[in-house]
Amino acid sequence: MTISHTEITDNKILKDKKVSLRAVSKKYPVVNTRSVFNEYVGDFWALKDISFDIAQGEVLGIIGRNGSGKTTLLNIIAGTLSPTRGNISVAGKVRGLFNLGIGFQDELSGRENIFLNGAIIGAERKEIEDKLDAIIDFSELGEFVNMPLGSYSSGMRLRLAFSIIASLDFDILVVDEVLAVGDTLFQDKCFRRLMDFKRSGKTLIITTQGMDLIERLCDRAILLDHGKTLFQGKPNEAVNRYQALLNTDKFYVGSVEKNIELVENTKRWVDENSRSLWGKQLGTKEAIIDKVMFCDGLGCNLDQIKTRGQLKIKVFFTAKNDIKEPHFGIAIFRKDGVYCYGPNTLNDDYYIPAIKPGKGFFELNYKNLLLAPGEYRVSVAIWDKNEALAFDHHNGCYSLIVKGYPNWQNELFKINYKINSLSFISKLIYPIQKKYKYPPDLSLFDNSWGKKLEPEGMGIRFVKLFNTYGEERKVFMTNEAVRFIIDFINFKLKPNDGYLWVGIYRDDGVYCQGISAPLAGNSLDILFPQLPLLPGAYKISLGIWSTKEGRFLMYNHGFGHFRMVFNKHDHGTVYLTHKWNWCYKSNGRA
Amino acid sequence: MFGIIKEIINRRSLIWELALKNLKIRYSRPFMGFFWTFLTPFLTAINYYIVFSIILRGKVEEMPFFLYIMSAVFPWNFFASSIVCSTSSLVDNKNLIKESRFPQYLIPVSIVLENMIVFLPSLAILIIASLIILDGLPIFILYLPVLLIFHSIITIGLSIIFSILYVKWRDLKYVLEIILLFAFYLMPSFYSIYLVKDLFSHAIFKSYMLSPFTGMLSLYRIVLFKGFYVDTQARIGVLYFFLSTIVFAFLVLLLAVYLYRKNRNTINDYLSY
Repeated sequence: MTISHTEITDNKILKDKKVSLRAVSKKYPVVNTRSVFNEYVGDFWALKDISFDIAQGEVLGIIGRNGSGKTTLLNIIAGTLSPTRGNISVAGKVRGLFNLGIGFQDELSGRENIFLNGAIIGAERKEIEDKLDAIIDFSELGEFVNMPLGSYSSGMRLRLAFSIIASLDFDILVVDEVLAVGDTLFQDKCFRRLMDFKRSGKTLIITTQGMDLIERLCDRAILLDHGKTLFQGKPNEAVNRYQALLNTDKFYVGSVEKNIELVENTKRWVDENSRSLWGKQLGTKEAIIDKVMFCDGLGCNLDQIKTRGQLKIKVFFTAKNDIKEPHFGIAIFRKDGVYCYGPNTLNDDYYIPAIKPGKGFFELNYKNLLLAPGEYRVSVAIWDKNEALAFDHHNGCYSLIVKGYPNWQNELFKINYKINSLSFISKLIYPIQKKYKYPPDLSLFDNSWGKKLEPEGMGIRFVKLFNTYGEERKVFMTNEAVRFIIDFINFKLKPNDGYLWVGIYRDDGVYCQGISAPLAGNSLDILFPQLPLLPGAYKISLGIWSTKEGRFLMYNHGFGHFRMVFNKHDHGTVYLTHKWNWCYKSNGRA
Repeated sequence: MFGIIKEIINRRSLIWELALKNLKIRYSRPFMGFFWTFLTPFLTAINYYIVFSIILRGKVEEMPFFLYIMSAVFPWNFFASSIVCSTSSLVDNKNLIKESRFPQYLIPVSIVLENMIVFLPSLAILIIASLIILDGLPIFILYLPVLLIFHSIITIGLSIIFSILYVKWRDLKYVLEIILLFAFYLMPSFYSIYLVKDLFSHAIFKSYMLSPFTGMLSLYRIVLFKGFYVDTQARIGVLYFFLSTIVFAFLVLLLAVYLYRKNRNTINDYLSY
């Protein structure tokens, strides 16, 4: 292990290789800024074991999300940072364009800044004097060159900075995503200049978010993620993989280790993005999903399923290459894009070491599908180990129809509950099943929390939520038993002429489930033996519906509220009890 | 160590550009521009004359009191402002350091150079004042360039040391302010060195004379003021001043080189925050 950044000016030693990195890693110290000498607390590895060579005249693109280590890597190549481990050798003069001009001073004129910047990047004064006209010419600044830099726009600064770099002599040029600032005309000019460099045998290393530039200019591209090389090879292939990585949308900057703390919000309730991508197939295609089957409990193949029935989703796939540590995922969305539930084997703590080339299937078994009747879309995917890169991802490609009672209000699911306040006899007297003939009209709520109508003699006293131990709470664990106690006032409506309606809404206004209860007494006690809502905030709305008049006599939208937390990362709105099963066979070659 | 000196010489155009940049920023907008570097010390001298010579009637045996104070204040200003500016210089210029590839210590060096350029006019005023008031200059004025070189070496060395330490230890700025204040008042700037002689034991006075601050200051006076050398040599001897300055300059330079060698690869990692 040697730490060195040697500059070999004699080109004979490395005739082809201009830059060569061997197992380069970079560690940043994490320090306690509150202690006296900024004590060292831990490490942050920005780069891990990066190895590659760049030949003379080659254009290398480096792509990756923000925070993937691109700039650190460029800094190491340019020599402004030294690697913690590993070797780097650079043959020739390196110039870097990292920011809008290194050491630019607002107080000085453009011309003075050219000399200052030139000196900082290591050019002799004479060289700058010789090229001064070319620099000013290329920058298109005209008379502005004698004005103080403070009066420049950021595009003008970039033009000046790029012109200085582009006019001075170098062997290797490192450009960090700065070219995006200029206008299209200047971008074209930069592009042409970069092409000139390429033709004249200079080595270029570029990072940008403009995938267009990568595909047009680069000979080779490297995809970085979390400081590691995910891919290196042809630019268009790297760009495709990067696109797949972006579309997974499950990237988060920070530790990859699973959070032990309770999940407060799944944040994936409504996903407009994935809806617009429905029907698309993304991924690196190292494994291919061949077929998806929906079966009932007996294993019969069907595309319709009954609410609260058993559902098996069976996915057949073919692995083309060796896949290490894959994960399977299946997600169900409602037709309008509401994320119902999307478990995967990673969140369920399964570990699949590897899949060899061959065929196989995986299967997700729901014993009790709580989803309300309606049309749903199913996504299936095979992920890499961090759920960052999809090998194959069929986004909403499969349609599933759930049948059952008429679902006029567009409920999302049907959770089991018991109304405790009702005795056996009162159940006989007040047939609440009538509600399906007179469903309440919920259109008047239209997502405005706090909308209410409380005429005299009718109203809500309180809504209280209790856990298993009878303690009043506002936050519950997913799958905990929850009891709703609702105290209401009703002096007007006879029990047979209407019913009390309790609606559970998601924070963002999606209607989850409605419960109709008779208007007996002045208190209602609803028990959910298992409330399977996934993390997030929920609201409770209440109303008294008159079946005779066909309208709400009293309502309060969003009267109560509660939160759910969970120790798992499952996405969606409702937790559905499930089981995974998989099986694969290699075709014997490996 | 010689590698670093060679590097300084190789990158002299960069150091010059950096110093020039700071000077331009300081003096390009004011109407009087660089003339302020003459005007400020001149007005300071008049101020000292009014306060110390006319009102306070302060006295030292060798010369008018205000001249005595000026000889302490001007070199000290050069030293102290260089140190204060340099200490936070690496952090202030982090964009520059993190994005280009040049040795970090060039920044404190350029700051010392900048302050040196500002110091020279006030030195000229001091020489002229000495020439007029004391009727001539001592022969030792020929050693002034040597003295300036040693003074710069000490200043550059300390600037590099403090700028590197400051990257990790941000209390240093405030600690330094106090140390500089103590140093200025404890060295014989406002009073004659003989006042200290009989206060303490002989050993303490010896070490007082050996302190580089006392040494530098006394050397400036020997070089600038006619008759100062003869007087001092006769009463306490001047060998100590030479010794302490030379030894201190070398020690500081060695420490600076050592610290830079040890930290140059990790400084950039700590600069971000």
